[in-house]
Amino acid sequence: MNNILLSTLIFLPIIAAALVLLLPNAYKDSFKWISILVSIINLLNIFTLYNTFDRKLTSFQFLEQYEWIRMGLGSLGILSIDYILGVDGINMPMVLLSGIIFLVGAVASFNIEHRPKAYHSLYLLLSGTVIGCFVALDFFLFFIFFEFMLLPMYFLIGIWGGERREYSAIKFFIYTFVGSIFILIVMIGLAMSVNDTFFSQELSTTVHTFDFRFLGDFKNYISGSLLSPDSNQLIFGLSARVFAFILLLIGFGIKLPTVPLHTWLPDAHVEAPTPVSVILAGILLKIGAYGFIRIAYGFFPDIAYNCSYIVAGAGVLSIIYGAFNALAQDDLKKMIAYSSVSHMGFVLLGLSSLTAEGVNGAIYQMFGHGILSALLFLIAGVIYDRTHNRLIENFRGLSSKMPLYTVAVTIAFFGALGLPSLPGFVGEFFTLMGGFASPVLPDWVPMLATLGLVLSAGYFLWTLQKMFFGKFWTNHNHEHHMKDLDIREMVMLYGLSALAVIFGIFPNLIFDLSGETVKLFLEKF
Amino acid sequence: MLEKLSHILFSTRLLLPELVFAGVFLLIVTIVAFSKKSHQRYNLYNTLTLSILITIGFVFYVFLSFLEQYFDSGVVLFHNLIYLDKLSIFFKIIITVSAIAVILHLWIIGYKVVGEFYAIFLALILGLFILSMTTHMLMLYVAIEMVSICSYILVVINKSKSNAEAGIKYLLTGATSSAVMLYGISLLYGMTGTLNFGSQEFATFLGQNPSWVANVAAFMTIGGLLFKLSAAPFHSWTPDVYEATPTPIVAFLSIAPKVGVIIVMIRFLSGLSIDFRLILSIVIIGSLLIGNLSALWQTNTKRMLGYSTIAHAGFMLVGLLALNEFGVQSAIFYVATYMFITLSAFLLVDLLALKTESYELASLKGLGQENILLGLSAVVIMIALVGFPPTVGFTGKLLIFTALWQSYQDSGNMLLLVVLIISLLNTAISVFYYLRIPFFMIFKDPMGSAKRYGLDLMKKLFLFVFIFLLVYLFIKPDLIMDMIEKL
Repeated sequence: MNNILLSTLIFLPIIAAALVLLLPNAYKDSFKWISILVSIINLLNIFTLYNTFDRKLTSFQFLEQYEWIRMGLGSLGILSIDYILGVDGINMPMVLLSGIIFLVGAVASFNIEHRPKAYHSLYLLLSGTVIGCFVALDFFLFFIFFEFMLLPMYFLIGIWGGERREYSAIKFFIYTFVGSIFILIVMIGLAMSVNDTFFSQELSTTVHTFDFRFLGDFKNYISGSLLSPDSNQLIFGLSARVFAFILLLIGFGIKLPTVPLHTWLPDAHVEAPTPVSVILAGILLKIGAYGFIRIAYGFFPDIAYNCSYIVAGAGVLSIIYGAFNALAQDDLKKMIAYSSVSHMGFVLLGLSSLTAEGVNGAIYQMFGHGILSALLFLIAGVIYDRTHNRLIENFRGLSSKMPLYTVAVTIAFFGALGLPSLPGFVGEFFTLMGGFASPVLPDWVPMLATLGLVLSAGYFLWTLQKMFFGKFWTNHNHEHHMKDLDIREMVMLYGLSALAVIFGIFPNLIFDLSGETVKLFLEKF
Repeated sequence: MLEKLSHILFSTRLLLPELVFAGVFLLIVTIVAFSKKSHQRYNLYNTLTLSILITIGFVFYVFLSFLEQYFDSGVVLFHNLIYLDKLSIFFKIIITVSAIAVILHLWIIGYKVVGEFYAIFLALILGLFILSMTTHMLMLYVAIEMVSICSYILVVINKSKSNAEAGIKYLLTGATSSAVMLYGISLLYGMTGTLNFGSQEFATFLGQNPSWVANVAAFMTIGGLLFKLSAAPFHSWTPDVYEATPTPIVAFLSIAPKVGVIIVMIRFLSGLSIDFRLILSIVIIGSLLIGNLSALWQTNTKRMLGYSTIAHAGFMLVGLLALNEFGVQSAIFYVATYMFITLSAFLLVDLLALKTESYELASLKGLGQENILLGLSAVVIMIALVGFPPTVGFTGKLLIFTALWQSYQDSGNMLLLVVLIISLLNTAISVFYYLRIPFFMIFKDPMGSAKRYGLDLMKKLFLFVFIFLLVYLFIKPDLIMDMIEKL
């Protein structure tokens, strides 16, 4: 069972997606149950994975490897593409996060009335590809999943979104597609520069491989090839490896998103339906961060060491610029979207510090932000469902009418602004600590980043005060709509809040997973 | 004398399939001439054409292994005029497959075309067969003219006003590029003293000329080829012809002549002893930019596909720009798979037009909601044109870009990197217009009453075969690649 566990995570939802598509419309009430059921099974499988994951091992576990494509390249040898899946300390937290968020998203999709068949099959397809992207250990396979997830996302935003859905769907698609083209260039370059030393002896020819395990090791680079560490060819005045690293920064930076490549995010978030926003902020952004760690830093450690200040700079810029923007928003969802930009900046800061606490903190921040941003977008969805209005200024004193809701909001807001014992604090604390201890960053960089903390306290507390405290009042006669949470919403909001508290008080649940792998990871630098 | 005669006899034997093919052409001409209402016998013509195509495809397939056994590389026939090798047979198979698909397309959609069509169609294919097995410029010119003249007729064979306009445009650009080509050939002949561009002396003597003179002459010579490929700067006929011509014919014209041209380009460029990359790069960049940027503004699906083929002509040439063994293989792979993609794209457009009776983008509104199968197919086909996984379009693009990267890595020529970057960015531009078809079909609500629009079984099956191929060849590209490697 264990050796097909990861494939099950990917293909169960994809098969279920096909099933939903093939079922006649008469069963349309069952589609949401299929989504939920599949998400539950996936989450249970992920728990098995989480429990049996060996925290001491640094190598990949639950490895699955099958030969996929072997293509002759004439005199250049063979191009070998494999189907390889596996987890280590870096992607294990992400797989866990995906399991949780997709279940929450499935519950949040419960009241989708418009074309439920298409919606749920796209949703299931998305969940399979996202998990595939996290566990793929072959660059080609990773890229396929990375690209393919754009399609379901494009349709989910474009069909079920708000008023300007078509505009933001195509904007999302084109931004990310351009990013993925940059990644594609690097992928081709890496494959052409790396030799699978294991197989090439057996076949006595060069075997160009996409295997992550070979790409990360300098021993396997063909000397004289463009991206090998000893290459001295210049591209537009930069060494080829620096050039490739920058392309990756742009590619994954769009996905993350980091300022100034973030402009698709607020549009996509504002127009996307609640569950899609939850997925987008909860998981999809993490793929950008995961790509930074695994690919940009993992395969270009020499360049990353010297260019870390660029990454840190982008991180700090995102933290501050995102926070200021969030401060200026009058739309609740837009504010949360910008707070996402700001919080993902900490991931970059932690990673670029190249210290154990920084990188562990970055991974934790990815996880913690996943939980919190999902919670925040659900909160925005609750208001929007009731009133079709999200402007902060339209609501006042909601706590008196919606006490249960207010409790969840308070946990989420305080979690996000960094109250100790909640995930936001742990992630930010460790990334900042890493920043101060970092051998590659000057102290003023993390110092600037702390400004982000102050600002986030500003916009979250301000919003909390404006919307929830004081005398009850709403604009446009929304008073009679303002019912408190129903059971379904309580399950989602309190479930996620409970998780936030658990992971906030016991951050070791994540640090245990990532610790050993990060130790090994940092030895490269 | 006797030697010459026996050589000709020997050559004739190896060209037997083509001779039989020519015989069927004559048969159809005879039937057309002696039957009164030729357009009512389309079932007969369809059966006849289809059976000869399938037969000859099968014969070629057998021939491929036969040739492997008896000849090491290629065999020279008719005193250098014909050069038959495995590569040419492979290309003939591709051409045959596309022709079969087009006839099936005609039949299944129910086009009623006049009997002359089938005769001309077979003659065109014969021209392509000759085109794909020649390294002799005289033969090349004859074959190109044969293909061109048949194409002009095919475009205007369904008489209507817009057809005539497109036909005239096609004829004028075609004639001009033929003239340019002929002039180029005469220059090359003057420089090298030989008409056989596969020969050793051609390479030697061409290298002795000043580089720019040789470059200009070579560019003029491939002018006729670029015209067939609808590559810039000989592209201007494409959108008009595509818009005005019946869809199956366009589908055929958009792939089969290109297949024939690509093999000639492969042979011509590998025989060229001069650095031709600058001109080729300009052609590629021009085709990509003109094709993609113009396609952005189109509101007619067929016109849009017309511009898209201009861009794809650029992509096909990218593989040739790399000009190493792998580059050529990837170009062949690209052409072979692009055949399936483009045929399915035109099939889709036609299936949609059955309902809407128009090729305007706006008329597609909501069709994907009414028929989920069509909506899904539109997504798969369009992302295949973009080059998006999981379709074979991605594999093709990945291979040509890999080849180009490798060529850059080996030579350090900045030009190749520039072409690589521009072509990658063009992929991003193309997303915008390709996705508009599924966008209109799925995102927009249907006009008027949303009626279910069903397809009959044959149409579904035919479409499904294409969709299956597009995805299956992505999962198993080795199927085609192994074949190409052995050539």
